Amino acid sequence: MVGTGSSHQGRRPASALIWLVPPVVLAVCTVTAAFLAPVGVRAPAAWCGSAATAAVALTSSEAVRRGRVIASLRHRCAEQEAVLKHRLVQQERETQRLARELLPHTVTLLQSGAGAEEVLGAVSRSSPLDPAFAAAHRSVLRSVIEAVQAEEGLRDSAHRAFVNIARRMQAIVHQQATDLREMEDRHGNEPEVFSDLLHLDHGTALIGRLADSIAVLGGSRPGRQWKNPVPLYNVLRGAMSRVMDYRRVDLHSVADVAITGPGVEPLIHAVAELLDNATRYSPPQTRVHLTAVEVQSGVAVEIEDAGVGLTDEARRRAEAVLELADRGLDLNDLGETPRLGLAVVGKLSKMYGFRVSLRSSAYGGVRAVLIVPQNLVTASATPGGEIARAATLPPPKPRKKPGRPLPPPPHLELPGQASDSPGGLPQRRRRVPGMSPRTTRGTAADRTTGSHRPPAPAEPVQPGIWLSAFTDAINGKEPTGGRGTEQ
Amino acid sequence: MSKPERAWDPGNPDRLYILTSTSDGTGKEVRIDLVTLIVSRTEGDPGLQPEHCAIARMCDYPLSVAEISAYLTLPVSTVTVLLKDLLSRELVEARPPVPVATVPDTRLLEAVMHGLQNL
Repeated sequence: MVGTGSSHQGRRPASALIWLVPPVVLAVCTVTAAFLAPVGVRAPAAWCGSAATAAVALTSSEAVRRGRVIASLRHRCAEQEAVLKHRLVQQERETQRLARELLPHTVTLLQSGAGAEEVLGAVSRSSPLDPAFAAAHRSVLRSVIEAVQAEEGLRDSAHRAFVNIARRMQAIVHQQATDLREMEDRHGNEPEVFSDLLHLDHGTALIGRLADSIAVLGGSRPGRQWKNPVPLYNVLRGAMSRVMDYRRVDLHSVADVAITGPGVEPLIHAVAELLDNATRYSPPQTRVHLTAVEVQSGVAVEIEDAGVGLTDEARRRAEAVLELADRGLDLNDLGETPRLGLAVVGKLSKMYGFRVSLRSSAYGGVRAVLIVPQNLVTASATPGGEIARAATLPPPKPRKKPGRPLPPPPHLELPGQASDSPGGLPQRRRRVPGMSPRTTRGTAADRTTGSHRPPAPAEPVQPGIWLSAFTDAINGKEPTGGRGTEQ
Repeated sequence: MSKPERAWDPGNPDRLYILTSTSDGTGKEVRIDLVTLIVSRTEGDPGLQPEHCAIARMCDYPLSVAEISAYLTLPVSTVTVLLKDLLSRELVEARPPVPVATVPDTRLLEAVMHGLQNL
């Protein structure tokens, strides 16, 4: 534009003079003609010449004037064009910035939970654009923000609905499991009913795991919470109980540690999902091995199957699923074949700091190793694992004395004492010698057990002869004890 | 809602069917009923399930199945399966219960009495 301006400027003085050229030329011609013409036509020629000169002068001056107008117009036009081009460039740049920076930034801000005004304030800055265009941009931004917010809101509510449904399912499953336990206790004597109940119990546990999975993917925590540390052995058994093919899982040696309360349920769930994968993707006649060893950074739970194994590509995909799990539940991901397992494991790993790796196993299958971080591991109060439900009643008999070996008769010196009592019932007699230190327990349970005592002391009882006769007699009858069972 | 939380025995995630999952059901044909007496033969070895260990430990003195079930708070059916496992591994012994004191048949006694009176 500078160039055009300068050329314009340069042309101007020339054009200022140039308009004089035609009239001057014409005037010269007129004068020449007037001189050269015969005297008779000199006067009309001079007149005509001067008239023509005047007309040409007028015309050319007008032409030049118009030329100037045109030039100035062109100049203004060029200036305007420059301004417009500049503006266009700016707008283009601004639009590109909007597309490349502002919108993604806005979306991330929104996804991180910022409010609409906040985001708008953060991303809009004073731009050199004219206000109308800036306003249009802002309105674009605003409508995008609103759309994204609406979308996020929808997603959130879908999440919440999912989690809510999962929670309700968990509650129902929980209640049902409790009821089943009661029924199991009630019908413990009827093997058929009992095994059916166990079957139902297992089914309920599977439903519960699904509900837990949905809750976890929805960003909630899995199922129930545990207050006290649980031995790893029981945690792993808990995980086994939530797998369809739990009978195929071999629980090998387990490190004698416990998992702190908050880590129990996530670990159970994660191991259950890995076990489920292992049992699902291996032939039904193969076993799945489950072990746990202590390692420097915590406890490593290993799950090894003899299935088809993982190709490198499949492994990468699985690890990607594990990695991406923290994006949360995407309804699209739940497509036609929802494969929740690894996503759930990944999510739990993110939340609780587990480390999961999938490698191919020496058996040809997959070897999944889940490392529980040290902060979730604590010392176990009951080495070897707890008895299923007897937390309240661990030692039924506090008999610590080394008199456990039954065959050696520890009661030889007792008969004298025993014979003090009147020779009443032989059973009672025999009970005394057998268990001198145990007489502290006068419960009915002891009496039944005491009444059974005879077989063991039978051989050594010599001191009380009549007593031994009695015991002999009783023992003689013992083989016919079938009668007892009949009764 | 705290009730189910309490009723669900705290501190143990095991389900009952898991306890018996290792049993292959090939145990010897042993009739075990509530009054069968169980005595352990060994202290139990470390490779056993905790329930097996507990049974082996508590049965150093003969206990009836009913008692074991009560102590372990496990249903009798579960205990039975566990015991069959232990029996097949010969870690415990089962004995039929001692017959209740053999009181002679009253009819027989009456017959004897009548016989004596008729003498």
